[in-house]
Amino acid sequence: MTLDRTRPLFIRLLLLALLVLVPPVALLAHGAMDDFARGLVPEMDKKAAVVGRDLASSIERAVNYGIPLDKLHGMPEFFEPVLGANREIRYLAVTDRDGRILFISGADAALLAPFFSSADFDIAASRKALIDNFVDITQPLMFKSALIGHLHVGLDQDYVQSRVLEIGVDIGVVTLVSLLVAVEILLFVVTFNITGPIRAASTVMDRVRHGDFSATCGVTSEDEVGRFIHTFNAAIRYADGLFRRLEAYLDEVKTAHFDKTVVERVAEIESRIRFLFRFSRSSQPEVVNEHQATDIRLPLFLFVFAEEISRSFMPLYIRDLYMPVDWLPLEMAIALPIAVFMLCIAAISPAAALVSARRGSRRVFLIGLAPATIGFLMSALATNVWDFTLWRSLTAVGYALVTMACQSYIAQASRQQNRTQGLGVYVGAVLTASICGTGIGGVLAERVGFAATFMISAILAVIAGLLIHRLMEAAQPAQDAAPERRVAFLPLLRNWRFSALVLFAAIPSKIALTGFFFYLMPLSLMRSPDTDLGDIARMMMLYPIAVVILSPLASRLADRMGWKAGLVAIGGLIGGAGLVLPMVSPDSDLLGLAIVLLGVSHGLSASPQLAMIPDICWTECRNIGQTNVLAFLRLTERIGSVIGPFLAAAFIPLFDYTGAVVALGWVVLGMSTVFALLSFAFGSGPHIEAEDTE
Amino acid sequence: MDRIEQPHGTTASVLPPPRPVRWSLVRKVSLALVSILLSTLLLAGFFAYYKFESVYSSLVQSRYSFVVFTIKKRVEDNLNLGLALRQLRQVQDILEREKMRDAQVIAVEIFDARGEVLFDTDRGAIGSRVAANLVEALKGAPGQPFGATDEDALIVGLPLVNNLGKVEGGVVLRYPAVYVNYGVSGLLLELSKGILRNLVVFSILAVAGLYLLFGRVGRRLDAMERSLNTVMTNGGPAVVDRPGDAFEERFADFVAKSREAVDHIHDATQEVGRLDRLQ
Amino acid sequence: MTLSTALRRLAAALLLMMVAVWPAAAAEDKAAVKPKPLRIYMALWRGWEEAAQGFKDYFINQNIPVELIVRDAAQNKDKLKEFVAEAKQMKVDLVFTWGTTVSEEMLGRIDSVDPTRHITDIPAIFAIVSQPLGSMVSDFASSGRNITGTIYLVPTETQVNLIQSYRPFKRLGVVFNPLERNAQVAIAELTAIGAKTGFSVESRALELSDGKPDPASIKGKVAELKAAAVDFLYIGPDTFLNVNRDILTGAALEHAIPTFAAGENPVLTSKALFGGVYRYYTVGQLSAYKAEQILLHKIKPADIPIDPPKRLSIIINMPVVRQLGLYPPMKLLGLAEVIDPTQEGKAK
Repeated sequence: MTLDRTRPLFIRLLLLALLVLVPPVALLAHGAMDDFARGLVPEMDKKAAVVGRDLASSIERAVNYGIPLDKLHGMPEFFEPVLGANREIRYLAVTDRDGRILFISGADAALLAPFFSSADFDIAASRKALIDNFVDITQPLMFKSALIGHLHVGLDQDYVQSRVLEIGVDIGVVTLVSLLVAVEILLFVVTFNITGPIRAASTVMDRVRHGDFSATCGVTSEDEVGRFIHTFNAAIRYADGLFRRLEAYLDEVKTAHFDKTVVERVAEIESRIRFLFRFSRSSQPEVVNEHQATDIRLPLFLFVFAEEISRSFMPLYIRDLYMPVDWLPLEMAIALPIAVFMLCIAAISPAAALVSARRGSRRVFLIGLAPATIGFLMSALATNVWDFTLWRSLTAVGYALVTMACQSYIAQASRQQNRTQGLGVYVGAVLTASICGTGIGGVLAERVGFAATFMISAILAVIAGLLIHRLMEAAQPAQDAAPERRVAFLPLLRNWRFSALVLFAAIPSKIALTGFFFYLMPLSLMRSPDTDLGDIARMMMLYPIAVVILSPLASRLADRMGWKAGLVAIGGLIGGAGLVLPMVSPDSDLLGLAIVLLGVSHGLSASPQLAMIPDICWTECRNIGQTNVLAFLRLTERIGSVIGPFLAAAFIPLFDYTGAVVALGWVVLGMSTVFALLSFAFGSGPHIEAEDTE
Repeated sequence: MDRIEQPHGTTASVLPPPRPVRWSLVRKVSLALVSILLSTLLLAGFFAYYKFESVYSSLVQSRYSFVVFTIKKRVEDNLNLGLALRQLRQVQDILEREKMRDAQVIAVEIFDARGEVLFDTDRGAIGSRVAANLVEALKGAPGQPFGATDEDALIVGLPLVNNLGKVEGGVVLRYPAVYVNYGVSGLLLELSKGILRNLVVFSILAVAGLYLLFGRVGRRLDAMERSLNTVMTNGGPAVVDRPGDAFEERFADFVAKSREAVDHIHDATQEVGRLDRLQ
Repeated sequence: MTLSTALRRLAAALLLMMVAVWPAAAAEDKAAVKPKPLRIYMALWRGWEEAAQGFKDYFINQNIPVELIVRDAAQNKDKLKEFVAEAKQMKVDLVFTWGTTVSEEMLGRIDSVDPTRHITDIPAIFAIVSQPLGSMVSDFASSGRNITGTIYLVPTETQVNLIQSYRPFKRLGVVFNPLERNAQVAIAELTAIGAKTGFSVESRALELSDGKPDPASIKGKVAELKAAAVDFLYIGPDTFLNVNRDILTGAALEHAIPTFAAGENPVLTSKALFGGVYRYYTVGQLSAYKAEQILLHKIKPADIPIDPPKRLSIIINMPVVRQLGLYPPMKLLGLAEVIDPTQEGKAK
């Protein structure tokens, strides 16, 4: 275990977290499931008795009309609606006095016959028995106060089991989310308290090893690391102090001594010491702090978490807020805040990036939190689509500021390390937050309502702000003034490879994301009556999960095979094909598959898309800088983000919900196909393989 | 290395006393981990409880809406004979029979489209008006049961539709809200106990694990600190606890270099002193 | 006496009481709001019967004050011209016409409406018109005129579905009066539906003597149908056979052929197995409901569709069921009114 590297310590910590988080939740869930099953049974029995009594009285009425019990006609049709409307009831059966099955619906007669014939039913009271996997509630059938047979209502134990399992699924999501949160927090704790300070100490140590005593380590924590660093600094200060005394002595001797040779000898000693060692000029040593990309990870995670909480129910919330107006149909009204949010981000981001570079990430992060928090808070209190759109655009302004601040912080912090690693920190935090936010948001909203869930977003944003405020005070990486000049982006569009990438890969992928995933998905899932918000959220979690799993794979593939355009093309085709899938059947399972495929698609194509840039526009990268080219790609692809919801909204009245998904799929698939065809030409063009511009 | 001497001729440490550890790593991480554990358990318990409550209350509701449905069927059969709702005298008996079957039922009542109670198991309420939201609920889908809440009662109801397809009124059944609460309170207690038990057991486990994990970190830091102190105070080579560990080796270099600097300065100071006295 | 007739008598008695107390109630409830009762001109063909009663009862049940001007043509076509003149002269709020003849003569067939001979300015509602489509209106969704109305005959397709739901069948037997056009129309419709859904229609025309159908030939025709192995006997809206329903249903029962009737009488008072009808009383209520929409809710008659009551009355004759041993499906039994003299007062 090395102290200056995060990974070994973190992995051990994570194992411990796994050990102390998963078993208790599993135990709790197990206990709850048992109690749950036990608690439901009496109520199910009562329900079965009520249903049985009603059916029995209908049968008795028929028998009273002189219809022999075994000649009752149309029993399957009689039982069918009852079975259909009460899913906990698995079968309904009528037996005669001897326990022979006369009629049965919902279960195999052969399975139950041995039980019915052997049981002693010669009593005129209702009773309960366990048969195989069923609970059999029996009602006597009477005619002229004589027992003529029995009506059996069979309760399905599996029904209870499946409802109980739903709890398990809910708790599973909670566990997954809390593990991910634990990862973020522990990562933060380890890097902030141990690795960061130790790295700073290392930096200082390296200087000392080269004889440079001009720096100390800027760590003031009151833990073991703080104590160690304190002593460590004390050693440096001690050396520094000795040197100062020597210096004073030397000065004294040099000025006061009359003997020239002595002065020369003393000067010689001084220059020897100064040659061997370096001390700060003033008595104030330079303070070294270590800036790591991971420092900002937890606040970023919390903030994105806050935003993603509303992911799974955003369109549903807007639908609730909608008040009919002639000129704005419901579909468009739902699309409006989603698209405006995207538009605001697109509009603010470039400016936010500049401001972050100039004013410092911490300040911009904090500034951005203000509109975002107000946005979340007021979203909870919104009364109609209009003010909601306003609050969402406020949130978007905050979102753009915060994410840009984080990106610029990471870019600056990771200058010392590895840039890809830095990008990994950003993407990692955003995706984990997306998994957690989406998953927990839906379940929460189902329990406490949409508005309260938005409040929780606001609280999370405030916590993120407090963290930044309290913990990042000193941690501000050195900024370099970004060279400012007007950059001409338009020539970029003349590069057909870049235009093709934007138009047929980046834009359709955003259309699929905002049009399908953000907009259509919750709406179409909610149409199935069995689906609740939690189910939607769980399904929507699949997208970030797929991206998380595939992204590293895709970037490795892109590096190894070098055929980045191909991956982008394949990704696009997979995503489009996924959306077309629900054509086969409007089943929600297929929608789930479409989500997974969209995740696969974006996981495959996102990083190759960026990695392609230096290849396909190396001249432009030279001229205006790769960062600017990437920023321009980001800006243009957001056109897709904005039109996605509107496109979906326009499709709904034409093709209904599932049809709209499919139609959107065809659009995406069509554009991706164009890109796939063009991508064959990418390699053969006259563009020179770019040197690394880093 | 014969030049190594006590810089000031004492064995007391040259470095200031170590800073006291007020918030040890174990404490910090324990706090984080235990709060994660607590919130996970609370959230899981919360979700489990709510799920149970919703399944349980929907089961209760579906049972009572079935009862309401059977009443609706019988009333509508009578309406089909062309009688007006308020003339269906036998309905009062039907309602009273249903109430008798289930002691939990507070009341069953039938009201007309304008909200006037026509029949009620609580005969005193006949002629009074039902809450406006129930009248409003009649306007929903005619086959769908509707739910509502009263002060302390839960209500399920169905609209009554005559053979002209016109909603004539509604039938509602009131049952006590505490009935559901009572049914789920057992689970709540069990859950709270489970949460507490798991929290205690696994918090202890977490703290123990963290002691193991960070105890080592602390001891290593402590050892390095002591070796630094010793070397700075008494001289001698810096000890590398774990050869091969890059950090420790660098630290040893650091210690050696620091000592070297101290020695050099010390020697220089002595030399200057000697020269100073050499006048 | 059957249960349902007993119930209806009870209802009638109750209604009489209501009528007696109504003016007082109206004075309390509605008088302040609507001091002048609405005036409705009721033109009847065969005197006061169930549909007229249903029409009247609806207003009483709904506490809507109306003044009914009741005129009975007593099956005399000439009187209808006077009715038109009288209704116009009285400036009534609405006209209710009972039966095909009354409706056609007073409101005008769709192709020959004449404002001088027919009522056009006053909104009107027709009821008990056998074939309103083509005669009174060209579209059930909207009359396109200042009238609306109700349907009282169960659509043939619904009847077929009803029989199918009792027992699936392949062959449907019909005995008909060759002099009644209605019966032939019904057979043509049945045959067309049969061709679509897979059953055949065996029809036998009654023999004529002195230019009139001979009741004595009924038994023979039923025997012929039995020989043709029909699954059900269908009794349509055939006046002659309705008069001779005892002979027809008796013969069918003798041959163990189940009988379905498109009218209520063969089931209620004879030996048909079951029937599906819209009750006249309900049709009258529905007509009154439409009148309410026109008069109180100010909906234009042309905007009110012409439709039957929402719920079909299925009547099952239990003694016949037992005799045939052909038991009704439970679902149908749950929906039906059961005629069972031996069970009087026990069930339902």
